[in-house]
Amino acid sequence: MAEVHINGVTKSFGERAAVSNLDLHIADGEFVVLLGPTGAGKTTTLRLIAGLEKPETGKIHIGGRDATDLEPAARDTAFVFQQYSLYPHLSVFDNLAFPLRSPARRFSEDAVRRRVGDVAKMVRIDHKLSSRATKLSGGEMQRVAIGRALVRKPAIYLMDEPLSSLDAKLRADLRLELKRIQAELGATMLYVTHDQIEAMTMADRIGILTDGVLVQIGTPKTIYTEPANLHVAARLGQPAINLLPTGLLPDADAPTGTKTIGARTEHLTIEKAVNGHADGTVDWVEHLGDQNHLHVTVGSKKLVTLTDPDTDLAKGDRIMIRYRAPLFFDAAGDRIANR
Amino acid sequence: MTETGLTMLNRTADGVARATPEPLARRVRGMSDKGLAWLFISPTILLLLAINIFPLIWAIQLSFTNYRANRPNELVKNVGLSNYQRILNDPDIWIAMQTTAHFVFWTIVLQTLIGFSLAYLIDRKFRGHAFWTTIILVPMMLSPAVVGNFWRFLYQPQIGLFAYAVSFVTGIPPTQIEMLSNVSLAPWSIIIVDTWMWTPYVMLICLAGLRSIPEYIYEAAEVDRASNWRQFWSITLPMALPFIMLAVLFRGIENFKMFDMVNLLTGGGPGSTTEVASITLKRQAFESWRTGYSSAFAIILFVAVFGLANIYVKALNKVKQR
Repeated sequence: MAEVHINGVTKSFGERAAVSNLDLHIADGEFVVLLGPTGAGKTTTLRLIAGLEKPETGKIHIGGRDATDLEPAARDTAFVFQQYSLYPHLSVFDNLAFPLRSPARRFSEDAVRRRVGDVAKMVRIDHKLSSRATKLSGGEMQRVAIGRALVRKPAIYLMDEPLSSLDAKLRADLRLELKRIQAELGATMLYVTHDQIEAMTMADRIGILTDGVLVQIGTPKTIYTEPANLHVAARLGQPAINLLPTGLLPDADAPTGTKTIGARTEHLTIEKAVNGHADGTVDWVEHLGDQNHLHVTVGSKKLVTLTDPDTDLAKGDRIMIRYRAPLFFDAAGDRIANR
Repeated sequence: MTETGLTMLNRTADGVARATPEPLARRVRGMSDKGLAWLFISPTILLLLAINIFPLIWAIQLSFTNYRANRPNELVKNVGLSNYQRILNDPDIWIAMQTTAHFVFWTIVLQTLIGFSLAYLIDRKFRGHAFWTTIILVPMMLSPAVVGNFWRFLYQPQIGLFAYAVSFVTGIPPTQIEMLSNVSLAPWSIIIVDTWMWTPYVMLICLAGLRSIPEYIYEAAEVDRASNWRQFWSITLPMALPFIMLAVLFRGIENFKMFDMVNLLTGGGPGSTTEVASITLKRQAFESWRTGYSSAFAIILFVAVFGLANIYVKALNKVKQR
């Protein structure tokens, strides 16, 4: 394991900059998740570290060594691709053993068997070692792909949306396992996803990428409670944060310069209107079982928030809405710190 | 068990038919879907019967007689299996079979090696690779008759370019390089032409195989620190193998019955050094006019190719399933 430094790295494809002037420092044993929409430059960042792409400017240091111009094989990284990328004509065992059988490593066949056995147990695929890679289900294939990265002890594990093609249940299971494995190994890991739940649950730190720019990086809690701007705020939270203009609801304590108010569920109190005055009406209530999504119209704006599963609010109800320490953003979209 | 299954199936089908609107065919012409299907495929079936199945059956029938096509009025006698017996005991036939095997073996070896190598190079996607692919494919697009005739000129000892080029490199006088009339060179002259003409075909199939290997597998291997050599042996070759085997199958079948090139270049000579099975067959059928006898030989060849191809396809499927 080792730390990775990326300094001022830029990579363009044609006219478009996939990653521009990226600075990222991943500490030894840290789990960093890059979160962003498709085309934000997440995968390119991974490929730059792995050496599958060469940066136009900037430096990449892996374990204190300048790796900017090194070939992928010389960098000591392990990559889990979004498409399983198993070797289809090989068995699960041979797929897992593939990185160990590199002449650069020279493990005895005995050592290979032991290591593959350990890793197979770790990713829970040890009952399928002799199966052909192509005969596995999607979840099993991805376990093998993750296992193939784990058999090595590289400077850094690079994972490119490894769970995105799995079904929800499997994704939840593997998410936990991956976090457990990472903690067990003390592995340095850079993990790319567009799934905010994966980011929130697994990361030591989350980096938010937009259009090739790292907008903010910090602990999940910081990113969630102190987003740098509207974009970061919109990436986290379910249902998504409500962005409302000032003046729509009583907002006397808003700092000067506030243009937009960001309100998540926890920033809103909702009550049935008792006397004549009301702020909005309930459009409908979405029952999700353990909770409800409440859709509300306020003036010309629509709001979505969570309510208790046993709420007595119903469609057509007129309601009072008040802010409770919401987020404030200025005209440029940057958050104004709370005093 | 089967019957119950079938009745159940019928009942379900009836139920469905009653529940949904009738198929178009039944409404329009009182014709069932099955009848319509047969109507559509009948032209192909008839053509196949007329030009493939019927001649085959006739040839099988002739192979048991002493029929001669140049004496249609002579009494045709049924001779049973004696044609087959005589063929299998004829040393000349066995020599022809050996000559054929020799051709098949060397053309396949050369065409696969060169074809795959070319495909591997073209797959690097260098500047202008599309242009070179087209250039390489040219021989394959020519008519075999044209190819045979102009290679005869190329091989010509006095004026031929081939003899000139070889003599330029080796220093042997061109008049001594008698590709088509020298006993030991003649077989190779045909192997060279066939390889020249059909290597592009093998290349094309191999190229399809190489292009089917996804790029990310190589990237994974690269990160896994596999050398180019190891990537070739553990990814490229195994994954392209079904395609290579397919090319070998096509060329093998094709060359087992090789006729045009041999007939044009050497006609089986000098002596019988290039007399492959199909040339023997032609000589028996249209020079000696032993129609029954040659029919029997044709059937034997057919069964041999069919049998070998079947065994091979089984092997191919095994490789593909891995």
